[in-house]
Amino acid sequence: MDIIQQFIESAKKRTLTVALPEGQDERVITAARRLRDEGIAQPIVLGKPELIEAAATQAGISLDGIDTLDPRDSDKLDAYTRTYVGKRDLDERVARRMVLRPLFYGGMMVRCGDADTLVAGVATATATVIQAGALTVGYAPGIETASSFFLMVIPSFQGQTDKPFIYADCAVNISPTPEQLADIALASHASAARLLNEEPRVALLSFSTKGSASHIHVDQVNEALVIIKQRAGDLKIDGELQADAAIIPSVGARKVKDAGPVVGHANVLIFPDLNSGNIAYKLTQYMANARAIGPFLQGFAKPISDLSRGASAADIVATTAVCLAQVQR
Amino acid sequence: MSDIAARVKNVVARTLKVDPARVTNEARFVEDLGAESIQSVELVAAFEEEFDIEMDEQSALGVKNIRTAVDFIARHLPPGG
Repeated sequence: MDIIQQFIESAKKRTLTVALPEGQDERVITAARRLRDEGIAQPIVLGKPELIEAAATQAGISLDGIDTLDPRDSDKLDAYTRTYVGKRDLDERVARRMVLRPLFYGGMMVRCGDADTLVAGVATATATVIQAGALTVGYAPGIETASSFFLMVIPSFQGQTDKPFIYADCAVNISPTPEQLADIALASHASAARLLNEEPRVALLSFSTKGSASHIHVDQVNEALVIIKQRAGDLKIDGELQADAAIIPSVGARKVKDAGPVVGHANVLIFPDLNSGNIAYKLTQYMANARAIGPFLQGFAKPISDLSRGASAADIVATTAVCLAQVQR
Repeated sequence: MSDIAARVKNVVARTLKVDPARVTNEARFVEDLGAESIQSVELVAAFEEEFDIEMDEQSALGVKNIRTAVDFIARHLPPGG
């Protein structure tokens, strides 16, 4: 079965909620209808009622059974404001203005356990969704960097059909420091653990394999590995590795003495910068006819995601399913 | 110094928790005042609260220093206000 369909089917077996803060967009209403009708999730559409109703009318879709919520009328507004003030040490009136924004209100719902995930971005810049995530949901323990990943599904890889990989970071961090690269690798490990049906094996990629080349760019990857080993030494994360040594067992065995569990068997590929990551995912997509699903945000305490401005209702449903698959209860 | 500029500087010093003396006309939010990118949206909300206005968030986030913030806000105030 298609991997997104698998996530949809498993979401149907749970009763999870998604906050959709862009209720003024008819694609969001169409997606909410499908999430509700197919029992994938209980959508909570946020926004001004007149705008939500106008979007529903425009889309020709009934709002029956779909929860809509205007933050201005919410009885949780005071509680969310106090929680926000406590986290950010802001003037209470300013905090209230923040929480009144549907994007931030949705984030506070997730933070406070009133929704399981937040999916936004059809009408919001990625940077703003990341800011909202950082300020409301917050980062996962030990992580201080928001990043993104793609779920890549390779139709035919070394005799395997529809082999999934996680690629990161192909969309957010342009030139990560070693600390940020460590955060990206650890967040990707967590994403893979929740989404792949196999144990994550994370490779920090480079043009060098275990010291075969010397350069500051190689050193940065190794600094990231040192940070990772200090923070989570028991995880299967290794580097620096060239891509072939990371994913092809025979090459890995030839290039690395005493190869550990990652060499030749990586299923999570961490690129040293956005140049390499973005190029790699697009080449894989078109040259290997791979499915590139994402980008999804990662590094937050609870799953949230961004959407492309051009996302369709089906994309919103798929992104919601991927977020819900990461919900831990 | 105009009343608007004084209020803008006051809001910036309070929200970013910096010494008001550093908040000059040319001070840039990120480079000079150390604003983290995640604070920019809170700064927009703080301006909205101070001046009781609503600003378009995406264009407001394009404002990079105090002088342009003052101009931006002045354009949003009701005439004669």
